[in-house]
Parts: sequence; structure tokens; C-alpha cells
Amino acid sequence: MRGRSGLRRGGRALLIALILVWSAFPVYWALNTSMTTLNGAQSVPAHFVPSPFTAHNYGTLLNQTGGGVGNQFWRSFLNATIESGLATVLTVAIALFAAYAFARLEFRGKRIILVAVLATLLLPVYATLIPLYRIMSSVHLVNTYLGIILVYTSGFLPLAIWIMYNYFASVPRELEEAAFVDGATPVVALWRVMIPVSGPGIAATSIIVFLMGWAQFIFPLVLSSDLATQPVTVMVAALYGQRIVPFTLLNAIGVLAAALPGVIALVLNRYIVQGVMAGSIK
Amino acid sequence: MTTKEADMTPTSLHSKGRRAAPVLLALVVLAALALVVAACGSSSSSPSATASGSPGVLPSPTPGSSITVVYHYPAPPKSVLDQFTAQTGVKVNWVEIGWDNLQTKIAAAAMSNTYFADLTDVDWSKVGQYYKTKWFTPLNPYFDAAALKADMPQIDTFASNGQQLALPFDSSFTVTTLNTKIAKAAGVTGTPATLTDYTNALNKIMAKGTVPNPLDIPFAAAEGLSTYWYQLTAAYGGQVLDASYTPQFISPGSAGYKALEWMVNAYKSGLVPKANIGMADYQAFTSDMAQGRVASVFSDYAGTVGSIYDVPSSSKVVGQVQYIPTPGVSGPAPNLANPDGIGIPATAKNVAGALAFIKWFTDTQQQAIWAGLNGASDVISGFPLPARVSSLQLLAQGNKVSGASELMTLLKTSRAEFPGPGAPPWYSQFSNAVYTNVHQAAAGAETVQQAVSNIATEVDQLKASQ
Amino acid sequence: MSGERTQTGRKRPRRRGRFLPYILLSPLVLFIGALALYPTIVTTVQAFFTVDPVNPPTRFAGLANFRALIHNPFVRQSAVNTALYIVVGVGLSTLFGLVIALVLQRRSRWRGVVLALVVLPWALPGVVEAVIWGWIYDATFGVLNSVLKSTGLIGSYHVWIGIGRVVSIVLIELVQVWQVTPLAALLILAALQSIPQEIYEAARVDGAGSWEKFRRITLPLVRPGLAVAMVESLILSLNVFDQVYVLNGFAPGGASIMLQTYQISFNNLNFGQGYALSLLATFATMLLSLLILAVVYRRVEF
Repeated sequence: MRGRSGLRRGGRALLIALILVWSAFPVYWALNTSMTTLNGAQSVPAHFVPSPFTAHNYGTLLNQTGGGVGNQFWRSFLNATIESGLATVLTVAIALFAAYAFARLEFRGKRIILVAVLATLLLPVYATLIPLYRIMSSVHLVNTYLGIILVYTSGFLPLAIWIMYNYFASVPRELEEAAFVDGATPVVALWRVMIPVSGPGIAATSIIVFLMGWAQFIFPLVLSSDLATQPVTVMVAALYGQRIVPFTLLNAIGVLAAALPGVIALVLNRYIVQGVMAGSIK
Repeated sequence: MTTKEADMTPTSLHSKGRRAAPVLLALVVLAALALVVAACGSSSSSPSATASGSPGVLPSPTPGSSITVVYHYPAPPKSVLDQFTAQTGVKVNWVEIGWDNLQTKIAAAAMSNTYFADLTDVDWSKVGQYYKTKWFTPLNPYFDAAALKADMPQIDTFASNGQQLALPFDSSFTVTTLNTKIAKAAGVTGTPATLTDYTNALNKIMAKGTVPNPLDIPFAAAEGLSTYWYQLTAAYGGQVLDASYTPQFISPGSAGYKALEWMVNAYKSGLVPKANIGMADYQAFTSDMAQGRVASVFSDYAGTVGSIYDVPSSSKVVGQVQYIPTPGVSGPAPNLANPDGIGIPATAKNVAGALAFIKWFTDTQQQAIWAGLNGASDVISGFPLPARVSSLQLLAQGNKVSGASELMTLLKTSRAEFPGPGAPPWYSQFSNAVYTNVHQAAAGAETVQQAVSNIATEVDQLKASQ
Repeated sequence: MSGERTQTGRKRPRRRGRFLPYILLSPLVLFIGALALYPTIVTTVQAFFTVDPVNPPTRFAGLANFRALIHNPFVRQSAVNTALYIVVGVGLSTLFGLVIALVLQRRSRWRGVVLALVVLPWALPGVVEAVIWGWIYDATFGVLNSVLKSTGLIGSYHVWIGIGRVVSIVLIELVQVWQVTPLAALLILAALQSIPQEIYEAARVDGAGSWEKFRRITLPLVRPGLAVAMVESLILSLNVFDQVYVLNGFAPGGASIMLQTYQISFNNLNFGQGYALSLLATFATMLLSLLILAVVYRRVEF
């Protein structure tokens, strides 16, 4: 009996090790490549620790003087933060009201609106790219933060609403009943009761939406014209597209572009987990 | 958890409402539509370029205005761009976007009639398309292409049906590069002058094992593979399409057929590294040729010796690679032109500023500076070669660019892939058929015969659809 | 438990705010209406037009775009490829997700660390993933070759992408699986955690072994989670683009439907056909989603 459970424990440990390698190794490999020279990276067989070690690639990227890669990189980093951040605020604000209406109020057309909103998740990117661009162009929002934020918001709302809706649905109704007895309107109940108890749900939605914003590529590629609004993903693709940028430098750029979402995932993952779990249909 | 589940079932969403909701939804959507349509109506009309004036006389730009250049090359050094601003009062905002993504942007912007740049890339392969789509402002009123032709031999690459849609941003043509150190080590003496010599030399290098796979062909299904085939077809003394775009590669004796056969055999016999099946052009050059893993690229791009192979930080073969006259059937073969162009999108806002910039950017002195006349601090990183013969002359005098005088001769004799009519409007579909079928033939998924007839069928359909 | 049955206490707010729900929803409806539904309507309409700036003007074409697509051998081949992407993507991400969820379900010291690292791939931008994996698969310097060679599994370095169609597609799709597996794992984990322990206890008393318990209890009860995870993965793999484009270019051996859509629209400038193809892809997504839900999804009540 003991032998068998020992075997089982060993098997489990092996499985956990495999899962960790599968999840983390590609990221480690990018780090490893980014911290060596081109010759080091091109050694056969591959070195599993940077050899020779160099921080030169990061030096190039962090050097903000002049019009070099570093300068462009930081601006695009800032752009991505602003665009994802503000889109998150807007998305969550709209989603709170809408999710509350879906979760707590009865009204005609509830189901059809919710289904229509969620159905937009099925649309392929290239189906809406050009018409969307035309709309943004006609209201003069191409190459503006606002234009990108509006497009992001429209894209992220369905998921945000779904997560918040399920979260609200899990809040016991008794909490609001007390407020209603005191004569509160639904909006007051939402503000005084639902939002305070939904902190983790709001955090989860915000983090997930922010990460989605950070990962966007094709929409900002088309909607931004220059460094005034280009996020970091577009920058990475521009350097990748040159084809003469060494792979070591490319990996360094990749690591920096992935750093913020990576740290968020590592530190705040319990919110992401909660958000996804709340959003899962039963 | 259990109560939560019941609440989450979609069934709880069934509302009793039947009619009002769809009506309301429709109303809101309609309101949004109305808003959008109203906004569309007021969309800016594209500024019409002042088409008057004789060639060479440009409208004067407004001092204090600015232009946006969106291009797939990194920005020139700020100090050099500042000189343009000092001369004209026009500020330059340079945005770099990778080539493929830039093409997406150009199409998306044009389809939405939206401004995104005052100047951008005009690829030689898209000239036929742009002639039909009218996405670029013809430059005929401002620049006299016929007069510039002698100094800018590749200028007609950007003309279609008499319309000059761009000026050359640089010049580029396919050349053959050879790693002379590897060749010598394998006992190859002299420069191979004919295709037979060249093939024998490669086989000799392979047999000696100096490098196991001596020839670079980028077999990834991408534009660079099509280019390679065109160049090799030229070396076999032919052309893939004639002036009326009729396929010239169907019979086994034709140049195009032989060229394709040669490429596929080179891959199958091991002359080309197996990994090349997934490599695009620059990727192959930087990871094979620059690393000394192959000895030659038959259809390389002019300027790679200076911009890649002789750059110590990215190359292990500094000083070893030379341009050689492209081996043909019985002697040097023509070199095919594939330069980048710079043109003014129809939606540009500052046409006068853009014209001034084109004039300045393509000037003899400036073109030489981009390639290194004033030293490395003033170059555009990765810039292939100046568009002008006179610029190359300046560089040759100063001994600034590897092989400048050889390149000058090659530039003068380079020719467009589609001389006369320019690239067909369906070039994209054609090239797609070419690179996919060549790739498939090399990967062993189809025979050379099948590849050739697939491409020809595609051409027939494309011509019929116009 | 659902809305209709617990209305008694809510009559007041409901009567007072007849229009309140619509006011609360108006920003949402405006956003979705203007920036998602309207573009979709435009696309749907234009799919029946010749929208080709090389061949103007824009004119009604009936079903011509769809007919052209069906007769286009590249489109047909990419449809077959996409089917393979879907099978690999949905299959592997569900399998890996289930395994990871089962491991994560057990409380242990390592759970926090494992969870953090498992979520990581999902958080990274796709563009970055393409850079990372392209380098891993590199035929000349890639670590995949290096590891396989040093462990003796291959004799010499292989070209992974571009030669064999199935191998190429599996490896390209693996990048997407890497990204979507965390989501699948969490969705399945949510379903796992909602299974009451008493059921397992009862089974244990009846003398059921681990495998028996997994097969008879876990698997049936986790079906809602599996279904959602599979739909998520289906949507992604049916629309696979970036990974294919970066790793394999337009090679027909790996081209996906979305790659063809891009090629037809932005390279050939035949936007009408491009819209038609993305419309077909949307329909395929809907149909296959419904199919998965019909086959896999079962309502579970405890």
C-alpha cells in the first residue's frame, strides 16, 4: 500500500514537473537567448544558460537617447499602457451597469441583447477590420488614443459583461433586499451594495481586459499611424519584419514586451483564475 | 457553488418580453448607423494635387508644415532629416513599419479613403494594381522620368501605362554573391562565368565538403522565392511572361522550365540546405550566407555585402563575399531590378511637402549619403544601394561602398522583370501561384511539370478575369 | 432560484424604473451596435458584391464570390488544413487542460506556483509568442533540434516546418495550444471544483477505484467545463493566423482559412471575396460551436 502511494506521488511530481516545463520553458528560452551574443545563441548544441552572458541587447533597448530603437520602444510601451489602461476603465465601467441589468433586472429583450453581444465573440478579425477602420476614419479618430480605446472597448465588452454577469449572479440577493427596503433605487443598490462586494470580480475583469488590450496587434496596426499611438506589439512586429535584426535582440524585445503581462500573470493570477471560473458556463 | 450554478444557466435569461426588445435593439442600432452614415457623409475629400506646372517645377511647400513618411526602412538620422527641415521648413515624421504590415496599412487606408501618410512605399510588384486603383498620385507633372532615366536606370519599374507612380527610393537588383574563401578552399579557381561553370563549382564545393550544402535558395513560400525564379529564368536567357503577359515557361526546353528544374534539383541533390524550405530571403542570407554555412547565393540582393556580410556584428564572413557577374548560358546574364519606390498616396495632406521631400531624398548627394558617403553615422540602416548612377560614382570615388564600381555597371544593365507594361495588376495572384508551386515542387509535393502547368493555368484564369 | 421566482421583494424598483434597464444598457448597445454589429452588417452585405478596387466599380455579384471561393484550390486546401488545425487544437488543449486541471484540483504546497506558471502563456501577446517559438523550432539553431539530438531521438537536425504537412500543422498549432491551454485548464478546473465531494465519498464506499471514479463521476460531471473549453479552443484554431504566417508564410501545406482571407483581401485586393470567406468562417464557427455543445455539453445539477 505504501509503495503504491509512493509511486503515485512520484508520478504526480513528474507530471507537475512536465506541466511546469511546458508552461515556462519557452519563456525561459527567450530570456536565455536574449542574454547572450549571436554566436552564443547559435551554438550547436544549444547552451541552456546564457554563455557568454551579455546584457548588451537590453542595453540597446533601454538606451533612450537619440532616435534609436530604445526611444521608440519606450514610447510604444507607454502607448500600450495608456490604451490598455483606459480601455480597461471604460470597459469595466460600461460592463458593470450592463451586467447588473442582465443579472438583476427583468426587461423585455434581455435574452436577445445578451446573445447578440456574446455572438460578436465569434466574428473573425478580418471580417470587421475594414468597415471599422472606415468608421474611425469618418469620425477622425484614426491614430488617436481615443479611437483605439473605443475599438478595444467594443471588442472586450462581451467577455467583461459575461464575467461580471456571472459574478453578480453569484451575489446573494438578500444583500440588496435590505437596501431596497430602505428605499434605494437599483442604481443606488448597485453602487452601495453590489460594487463593494464585487471587488474581486471587478479586479478579475480589469486584469483580463488589460491583458487582452496589451496583446492586441492587427487593430492597432491599422488604426495607429505612427509612434504617437503605436503599441509595443506593433513595434515588435516592425523589428521582426526587418529580418536583419538578430534573434538575440528580437528575443530581448519579446521579453520586454511580455514583461508587464508576465508579471501580472505571475503575481495576480488568482484574480485571473477567479475571473475565468466565474465566466465558465455551467 | 451549487446555487450559483443554477443562476448561471442560460435558461434564467428567458425573459417574458417578446416584441419590444427586438424593436428597441433595432432602434438603437439604427441610431448608431445614422450616426455613422452622417459622419461618413462629411468624410474628408482627398486633396487634389495641383496638376499644373511643367515637369521639374514643384509647388513650394508651406514652411512650418509637416509630412509623415511611413516606410519599411528605419528613419534616417535625425541630424540629416533636420537639414531638410532647415532647407524647406517642413518637419518630417518618419514611421517604420515592416514591409508586409505596411502593405496591409496601405490597402486598409486606401479602401477607407483615409489619410495615413504623405509618403510611403510603392513596391515595384504593385505598380499594376496601383495604376488601376488610383491609390497613388502620378508624379508625371513634377518629375520628367525620361530625363531621369539615364541616371536612375530603374525608374521605369514604377511606371505603368505611362503613369509614374513613384520614384526609386533606392536601387536594388538581384546579383550573384560568392564566398571566395570557401570557393578557394574547395579548389574552385577563377570566377564561374556560365551556369555550367557555376553548377560545377557548387558541386565541387559540396563534394569536397568544405560546406556540406553550398547554395542558398530561400524556399519559403514568399515573394523572395518568385524573384529567385525570375532571375534564374533570365540567366537561362528568357523571361517568365512576355509583354502581353503570356506564359513563356511551359515547354521543357524553355528558360523558365529549365530554371525551375535547376532550383528543384539543387534542393533535392543537397546543394541547398534542407532547412531552407522554410526560410525567407533575408532570413536565409543572414543565417546561412553571413554565417559561412553556404558558399553562394545566385539571386542575392545588391548591397547585401555591405549591409550584411561585411558587418562584423552579424557576420562571420567579413571580407570573404564578392559580387560576381551573374552566370548565364554563355556569359553574364542580366540582373533583374527590384527597387523600393517612394510615392504619394492619393489621400496625402501635404502634397507640396511630400514632393519637396522626394526631390531631396532622391538627389545625387543625398542618395550617396544614405549609402555611406559621409560615414556610418548618416546612413539609413540596411539601405541597399543609391538609386542613381551618379551617387554610386561619388561612392566609388571615395571608396565608400564594397564593390561600388562593379555595382555601377550592374545597375546600368539591370532590367525590369516586366519591361514595358510594368507588373500586371494581378501580379500578387501570379506571384502567389509561383512561390507556392515552386515551394511545393521543392518539398516534393508536386513535379516540376505539374508546378509549371499550375502556374500557367493560373495566368490564363487571371488574364481571362480582367 | 432564477429571476422570475424571487421577484416579490423587487416589485418597487422594477415599477419605478421601467426604462432603467435600457438606460443601463445604452452604452453597451451603442458600442456593440456601432463598432461590432454595424461592421458585421457591412461585411455581410459586401460579401455579395464585387468589391475590387483593381476592377471597379463595386457592383452586386450575387453568389459569385462564394462560387469563386469554392472553385479556388488554395481555398479548398486551406479549408482542409484548418480542419486539421481544429482537430489538433481542440484535441490537445482539451487533453492538456484536463490533465492540468486534475493536477491543480489537489491542494498542495506547489499549487500556487504551478497555477502562476500555468497561467503565464495565456497572458503573453501573440506577436511575442511567434518570436519565441519561431526560434525554438529553428531548423539550424533551434532548441527543439538540440534537445532531440542530444537525447538521441533524432540523428541529425530536422526541418520541422514546411516539409511534411501534418508535422508542420501540428507544430504550428502547438503554439496556439500553448497559449489557450491555461484557459481550458481553468474552465475545466471550475467544473471540477463544483462536483460535490459527497459523490466521490459515496463511490469510495461502494468500492470504486480511481479510474472508475474518474470515468463514472469526474468525466460526466465535468462536461460543461469541457464543452466551453472546447468552444474557446475551436474559435481560436478556426481563426489561426499569426502563428501560421510567422512560422510558415503562405505555403499551401500549412495555410489556414484566415491566411487565405488575408491573401485574397490585402494582397489580391479582392475584398468582396475576402468578406465572403470571413462570412463562411463565421458560419463554420457557429455551426461547429453548436455541434460541440450538442455533443459534449450536458446540464449538470447537483
